[in-house]
Amino acid sequence: MTNHWIDIQNADVILIMGSNAAENHPISFRYVTQAQEKGATLISVDPRFTRTSSKADIFAPLRSGTDIPFIGGMIHYILKNYLYHDEYIRLYTNAPFVVNASFEMPGNLDGVFSGYDPENRKYNKKTWAFKKDEQGLVVKDTTMQDPNCVLQLLAKHYSRYDIDTVADITGTPKDLLELIYKTYAGTGKADKVATIMYAMGWTQHTVGTQNIRAMAIVQLLLGNIGRAGGGVNALRGESNVQGSTDHCLLFHILPGYLKTPRASQENFDAYNNKYIPKTGEPNSANWWGHYSKYSTSLLKAHYGENATKDNDFAYSYLPKLDDGQNESWLMIFHKMLQEKLSGFFAWGQNPACSGANANKTRKALTKLDWMVNVNLFDNETASFWKGPGMNPSQIKTEVFLLPCCASFEKEGSITNSGRWAQWRYKAIDPPGESKSDADIINDLFFEVKKLYENEKGSYPEAITRLSWEYGEKDNQGKINHIDTHLSAKEINGYFLKDTVVKGKQFKKGSLIPSFAYLTDDGATSSGNWLYCNSYTEKGNMMARRSKEDTSGIGLYPKWSWCWPVNRRILYNRASVDAYGKPFDPKRAVIQWNGKKWVGDVPDGGWPPLKNPDGTLNPNTRKAFIMKPSGVAHIFGPGLADGPFPEHYEPLESPLKENPFNKKHRINPVVKLFHLDPKSTLDLVAVSDGQFPYVCSTYRVTEHWQTGVMTRHIPWQLEMMPKIFIEISQELAKLKNIINGEKVNVISARGGLWAIAVVTNRFKPFEIMGNEVHQVGLPWCFGWQYPEDGSSGDSANILTPTIGDANTMIPETKAFMVNVEKI
Amino acid sequence: MKKDNKNTNINSPWIMMALVLVVALVFAAIYRFYSGLGAATNLSDDTPWGLWIGVDVLAGVALAAGGFAIAGAVYIFNLPKYKPIARAAVLTGFVGYVVVSISLFFDIGKPLSLWHPLIMWQPHSIMFEVTWCVVLYTIVLALEFSGPYFESIGARKTAAIMTGRPVLVPLAIAGVTLSFLHQSSLGALFLLMPGKLHHLWWTTMLPYNFFISAIAAGLAMVSFESIIAAKAFHHRLNPEILQGLAKGTAITLLVYFIFRMGDILVKGNISLMFDGGAGTLFLIEMIFFVLIPMLMLFKNTRSTNGMVVVMPQVLVLLGVVFNRLNILFLAQYKQGVSYYPSIVEMAITLGLIASIIVAYKVAIIKLPIMALKKPYTSFDN
Amino acid sequence: MEKAVLVDMTRCIGCRACQVACKEWNERKVVQTTFKGDFTNPLKLSSDCYTNIRFVETEKNGRPVWSFVKDQCLHCRYPACAAACPVGALTKTDKGPVVYNYDKCIGCRYCMIACPFDIPKYEWDSTRPWVQKCSFCSERIKDGMLPACVKTCPTTALCFDDYDKVVAEAESRLKKYPQKYVQHIWGHHEAGGTNWLYLSDVDFEQLGFKSGVSDVSLPDYTWPPLSSIPAKVAGIVTLMSAIAWFRGRGSQENDKS
Repeated sequence: MTNHWIDIQNADVILIMGSNAAENHPISFRYVTQAQEKGATLISVDPRFTRTSSKADIFAPLRSGTDIPFIGGMIHYILKNYLYHDEYIRLYTNAPFVVNASFEMPGNLDGVFSGYDPENRKYNKKTWAFKKDEQGLVVKDTTMQDPNCVLQLLAKHYSRYDIDTVADITGTPKDLLELIYKTYAGTGKADKVATIMYAMGWTQHTVGTQNIRAMAIVQLLLGNIGRAGGGVNALRGESNVQGSTDHCLLFHILPGYLKTPRASQENFDAYNNKYIPKTGEPNSANWWGHYSKYSTSLLKAHYGENATKDNDFAYSYLPKLDDGQNESWLMIFHKMLQEKLSGFFAWGQNPACSGANANKTRKALTKLDWMVNVNLFDNETASFWKGPGMNPSQIKTEVFLLPCCASFEKEGSITNSGRWAQWRYKAIDPPGESKSDADIINDLFFEVKKLYENEKGSYPEAITRLSWEYGEKDNQGKINHIDTHLSAKEINGYFLKDTVVKGKQFKKGSLIPSFAYLTDDGATSSGNWLYCNSYTEKGNMMARRSKEDTSGIGLYPKWSWCWPVNRRILYNRASVDAYGKPFDPKRAVIQWNGKKWVGDVPDGGWPPLKNPDGTLNPNTRKAFIMKPSGVAHIFGPGLADGPFPEHYEPLESPLKENPFNKKHRINPVVKLFHLDPKSTLDLVAVSDGQFPYVCSTYRVTEHWQTGVMTRHIPWQLEMMPKIFIEISQELAKLKNIINGEKVNVISARGGLWAIAVVTNRFKPFEIMGNEVHQVGLPWCFGWQYPEDGSSGDSANILTPTIGDANTMIPETKAFMVNVEKI
Repeated sequence: MKKDNKNTNINSPWIMMALVLVVALVFAAIYRFYSGLGAATNLSDDTPWGLWIGVDVLAGVALAAGGFAIAGAVYIFNLPKYKPIARAAVLTGFVGYVVVSISLFFDIGKPLSLWHPLIMWQPHSIMFEVTWCVVLYTIVLALEFSGPYFESIGARKTAAIMTGRPVLVPLAIAGVTLSFLHQSSLGALFLLMPGKLHHLWWTTMLPYNFFISAIAAGLAMVSFESIIAAKAFHHRLNPEILQGLAKGTAITLLVYFIFRMGDILVKGNISLMFDGGAGTLFLIEMIFFVLIPMLMLFKNTRSTNGMVVVMPQVLVLLGVVFNRLNILFLAQYKQGVSYYPSIVEMAITLGLIASIIVAYKVAIIKLPIMALKKPYTSFDN
Repeated sequence: MEKAVLVDMTRCIGCRACQVACKEWNERKVVQTTFKGDFTNPLKLSSDCYTNIRFVETEKNGRPVWSFVKDQCLHCRYPACAAACPVGALTKTDKGPVVYNYDKCIGCRYCMIACPFDIPKYEWDSTRPWVQKCSFCSERIKDGMLPACVKTCPTTALCFDDYDKVVAEAESRLKKYPQKYVQHIWGHHEAGGTNWLYLSDVDFEQLGFKSGVSDVSLPDYTWPPLSSIPAKVAGIVTLMSAIAWFRGRGSQENDKS
């Protein structure tokens, strides 16, 4: 989230789309309710009328996978009616930037942007660049009339997203589209603000990243980013997934969103230089310019004394990816099925139920030599070899199930969607032999280290020279129990020698006050520069619990700690005008008092853009400090599938063609697993009469993720005992299905039974003149428990192996199925 | 007074069947206490009261009303015509009330706490009042009944006291008072459910409806058992008594009819009778179990044929049972819910009815209940 | 001052945290459930389920409406069950909860019949059967804590306070949003008034609230016959005695037979 949970109460309009917040983030609804009490309008857009919709002032249905037309239509509406916040986009976005003339858009190129390579299914982004002047600076048009300026290109691109076209593709009634556009776009006024709450309903599509981009563009046009009650707010799908992404458990990033090195970056300098952005923009803070300070401090944290200037700070110990190598979720199981992986840690997860195309995942597991599942309970993954259709005598995988303990049986922090890292205490001891994940990793580390020391093996230094000071060592030098305070402190970082930074004196061994003091000379360590400031000499900031709040907008600056440096609302220097005066004085986030900023931690302490007399202040820095240009991207050349979001149909959709162009039905850049000659289980049904209904998957309040924990809690299972499929009354009549009846649901990849819920909360769509039905199921059940299988199996048996063009997150929210009476 | 020892044969097929039912009752009782109400009955949260409350208690108390009615007729209103059946009526009452108490012992969830209302008072509770009145009235019945008992064991002096007017009149007054209170209170139990009980039955007059119908039931019961006992023991019926009882029943039914229809008319609920469902039950109740027996009884008041007289009296008895069950189940009515008694429930109810018959028969035989010196004719007085 | 709860159904998201919190706090066991297309689960209140959320789907102007109704004992101000109980096993405490005392109970189940809302449930399968229903967490309230359900509700759909303040809050909400709410506080007068009050944006009857519940407190129907007992006894005894005396005077002789 750019903002945080409590901030939602400040909004005038709340759009919940791609999310069912009341269902899956019920606590957030306290703040939605409070906003409504103050007169806010809640808009719910969803293929289905959900628990969120039941509380909404406006509900609009839309077909799964058509969010870009919906939001694109809003962009069209905002621009057509001049409802954007003019001053804001001029100051804080690249709307006035002029794009070079060779850039072309899908309206002209039959569905793709310029530079598309159809052979390799990727873009050469050379033409996605700005026009530069003789000094090499980007040309800007302050009138924003130049046909090649970003704002005009945006208008041209979305001119095709008129309300009739949008209604035809999404199936949303025109009157509702207009009402929603009007309501939401009304917050383009300086003193009005709207927020967007989204979740997997937006991200789990082949155009997932572009869905978010579309909304980011809307929020920028309306001047809602950096404002209280505004922002672009992702509702994370797990209580600590924000923490896991911050500490970068994914293959392509290192802690603090640094990049995993590639093989072609042969030394540390080459690596750093690749990622230190250069900018010619005057007054740009270009904060990623400090990249090498963070990467050096990270290596010092990992290797301690074993990382020095002389050995390139142990850069050679880091594992490297080949250029272009992708090891994201779908790729892992794709390779596993082809027997390219011999071992697998399924740590705190249940891939047999959570991954798209569950049958493929389960089959892939049978190809492993060994697998370790770390979990609280036995589950469909740990027992995959006993599952339906499995013949244990034919499976050679050696499976280890390590019991880990639950969150209240260990101490540590959890980072919520609002970036708040909240420290939690241990309430009770873990039962039986279960251990915290930290202790399990710790034990593994010492065993592996010992093996490397004894047996050498290939490149042992990467392990044997790791610094591991996370607890008391016994007389063999082994730590038997991790003290998470020590890991937290290391994440924050230490001064490794007496040093002076920014004119301040620091002693060796003291905790670093903030990442502003990190250096690239090896004097500092930090396990994650973003969390530098979380555990300082003043103590564990994450454990603070003061309800003191004078902000008037619910910042609660002394309740725990958030990154970066406890800044509660990101980009907050865009909430003020060029003089530092809040656009929205009633909900001021920061304001300039002549000498400094008061309010939230400012997004950089530099003075406002202009002096009181109107002249430019040379000491200022632009508001969006993480961008080299210093401004937010309306034109976003950094993504794989285009600088502006464009509608592409889901891989499996009811339409034979993309309504916008004849040539590219689906995202032109996504990896097509089913075209891989080695693919066996990546079956796909496009516009196939056998699978005529659009399907989506979702959650229920009563169960958690794949249900491993909640199916074992009798009170939860009592409320929600088995898998169901929600279908419209019209579809039920068509298929002669009655409420409560068991039915079969099948896709090209597999099938399962579910109990039919016939409801008025799904209604058929009219898409391009045809009636299209949509259905949906929850994915919280699995065959392993209850043991008699009475709850059903995972809805992911139905979902396809295809992922987003940028993140490869599986497209589990839009695919095609059939539903039949049993 | 001497015992009439005619027909002491207790091995008639009816009695055999009754004994079988009593044995079944014992087994059912053991099961009920061992396994709990849930296993033994078909009672549920939707229908917490069933056969036992409906028949054994509600109907049973009404049917045993003959005791106070006849005792009142004989000792308060001083109608000596009915003296010959007074003891049988009191016996019916006493055995009936004892069996009602036993039924309650079976029905309540904590049988061993049955005595609680005697010590733990809650004076705002109708049920509290019913309990006390039933306890006191059972004591009255026992005292009224003690006379024949003492006679049978030869305690002449005590018997003389217990059968004298100085004892029997106050007891009769107490009996009428207590019976008025608890017969009407059984109706008052349902007063606080105007939203649940169908308004063809619910009325603030409900206690009076119960009292009046109890009188009708009591008289009908006395009439019925006289006829059956006469047949069993080969007596001749006293037609004057029967005619008197028939007339009494008929008049009571008329009063009852006026009370009920009057209330419905005044409240404007006439149309409810034709609504089907409950309306149909009402029509059946009124036509078959009130109007028809009433007309038959008025018409045949002068009949001396026992069977002709017994038919309408039986209808009245069935009618009272029907009425109590209607009220009980309509008060608990929920859509989609049905109830029928379990085997255990029926075994206990039938077993208790059988026990009444057996006890009655044994008492008739062993005790001077039917103290007849000579066969009556219609001309004796 | 009695405590009360305002259930504002326009704020309820049907998360059922209250249902689980109640089960946890009262140590109720799980019942075997199935699923037949109705999310309400368990379907009915029982001795193991003091409260549940009923899911009700309706429609308005062609658009779906989904309501979530919390059912539990309403803790009537003048409870029929407490008046009905012959031994005073159910009592209305001065803080508002209607509570049950097993030691006094005889298991007659009159309370179940008496309750206009069919709330008390019975432990049919036990040989020491209790009457079970929501206790308004009377022990927690006594210690100054919130009832478990109120404490756990994320959206402040449940508002716990002194009775007068709760009624005032309900009235102010009705006034503030006349378009949003059905203009009625359910429980204000029903059954003579209850300590659990409801606000709704959907017609109450459509949500399954019992219609035709009298505004008269139910014990008011039974107190008149009870309170007149002394008079009735005096009257009948006098009348019967008089009749017996008059009628008995002339027939002492007839009695000797």
